[in-house]
Amino acid sequence: MIQQLSVFVENQPGSIMRVTSELTDAKINIRAIASFDTPEFAILRLVVDQPERAKDDLTSKGFVVRLQKVISVELKDEKGNLNQMLEVLAKGGISINYIYSFVIRGDKAPVMVFNTDDYEKAEKVLKEAGVKLIDEADL
Amino acid sequence: MIWAKEETLPRAEIEKIQLEKLKQTVSYIYEKVAPYRRKMEEEGVKSEDIQSLADLKKLPFTYKADFRDNYPDGLFAVEKRDLVRYHASSGTTGKPTVVGYTRNDLEMWLNNVARIACMGGATSEDVAQIAFGYGTFTGALGLHGGLEKVGASVIPMSSGNTNKQIMFLQDMGVTLLVATPSYALHLGEELRARGIDPSKDLKIHIGLFGGEGMTEPMRDEMHKVWGEQFVCTQNYGMSELCGPGVAGECTELCGMHINEDWFIPEIINPETGEVLPPGEQGELVITCLGKEALPLVRYRTGDLTRLMYEPCKCGRTTARMENLSGRADDMLVIRGVNVFPTQIEEVLFKIDEIGPHYEILVERKNRLDVMTITVELIDDRLLDGYTKLNELEKKIKSALKSQLGLATQLRLVAPNSLQRFEGKAKRVTDLRKDGL
Repeated sequence: MIQQLSVFVENQPGSIMRVTSELTDAKINIRAIASFDTPEFAILRLVVDQPERAKDDLTSKGFVVRLQKVISVELKDEKGNLNQMLEVLAKGGISINYIYSFVIRGDKAPVMVFNTDDYEKAEKVLKEAGVKLIDEADL
Repeated sequence: MIWAKEETLPRAEIEKIQLEKLKQTVSYIYEKVAPYRRKMEEEGVKSEDIQSLADLKKLPFTYKADFRDNYPDGLFAVEKRDLVRYHASSGTTGKPTVVGYTRNDLEMWLNNVARIACMGGATSEDVAQIAFGYGTFTGALGLHGGLEKVGASVIPMSSGNTNKQIMFLQDMGVTLLVATPSYALHLGEELRARGIDPSKDLKIHIGLFGGEGMTEPMRDEMHKVWGEQFVCTQNYGMSELCGPGVAGECTELCGMHINEDWFIPEIINPETGEVLPPGEQGELVITCLGKEALPLVRYRTGDLTRLMYEPCKCGRTTARMENLSGRADDMLVIRGVNVFPTQIEEVLFKIDEIGPHYEILVERKNRLDVMTITVELIDDRLLDGYTKLNELEKKIKSALKSQLGLATQLRLVAPNSLQRFEGKAKRVTDLRKDGL
């Protein structure tokens, strides 16, 4: 399990940049980012290297920020690997609310991040299937 | 046709009737309505002090807030058993403004509406479609009853449902439409969009409009969409005074004739309360004459207008009030419904997930009023997912709907993104121009 930041942003030019620029000023490293098309506002999801400090910093600048646990899974960069993980979750009856992947991880294998309402079960079925879960320290 | 002889009396006779009824009204309200008696006592005015119409200005004002302070029926002068009808309109806060009628009050009211219908050209030949919302608002049932008195065939259609409105207009041979002017424009444009030319394909030729003001540019537009044959007039009233039936335009279109044997109009400076000379613009203050359930003396309408006393070409001698030129307070009229920003504030302040700052934007889109309320999200727990944010939006919209009786648009924004004000906040932006 890792921590994810959710930030409320309006659909306006520059609104995502205002978040990233605050994080840059605070010397916080962004590992992953995701946002989807919605009519008026969006929830920007971020994985950063210092989530607690990022939340305090953004909150003090007037943003609404939520820290949440999400599951992150390391996948080998091979055909069919993502499909295999999703198959495990599907068979376990786990519903994925949203899913996104890491942008940069140096030489390490790609990581997928996903959100579900049933973490315990998700972790269990993934571990049983031998899928590698990632903790903050492994990022 | 002129409905009542009282509409054509020489000024001296109108004033004689007014003075006689005023004296009775003042004694009646002093005796029956404790909150107003207290006001008179505080001002040191006695019923006997009213010996001429000029003495009216000695009497204390009644405000919309008096209805709130005496909610629901503390201003009533009769017992419940004497009432035959209640109506209610917007209050400045959560509680509505409740009004009541005895059988005589209803008779007086609907006769006054019949006068207004006749001013606008209605006769017993007409088939009248009422496109005001029915319910506790006075507009629909007022025009309904007044037109029945005239002998017209009334269709109690209610508001909205444009498809059904159009079907009845076509199939029932409707000749007269009662609506807010903005809805009438919307409906007319819908007809045109379906290839229906009201001047050729329908029998419609009269529009009786109310609930909101009709500007001259709106009247011009009305002729463009409904045709040149369409005689459209507007009328004025408010539930506290009785409902519609206080004043109406005749087909000369030179102001709204006030039913002066039932209502004494004054124009005052809204800041000082001082009575202004005839012809000057200010806040309209109305004293109701002869009402049994809810007598009202010097009621502050909040509407800004001007009075004209010259007799009209139509033959009526009653004073006319000009098109309203605005409000002395911050009340908004949205789709014919009165909205006070304090009502909105009251709803928003009870919702913990949003901050205390808000903005109200009013626009007219496709001829209809759209009110958008912008609020700041402050609760991070809602960021778990979009479902929670959608639920919050639904919760706020539904609370506003039940408070205002109107659907509103809602916009959630980040904290600190709305303008902050030192001193009096300017939260309302009204982009409607000339009602178009």
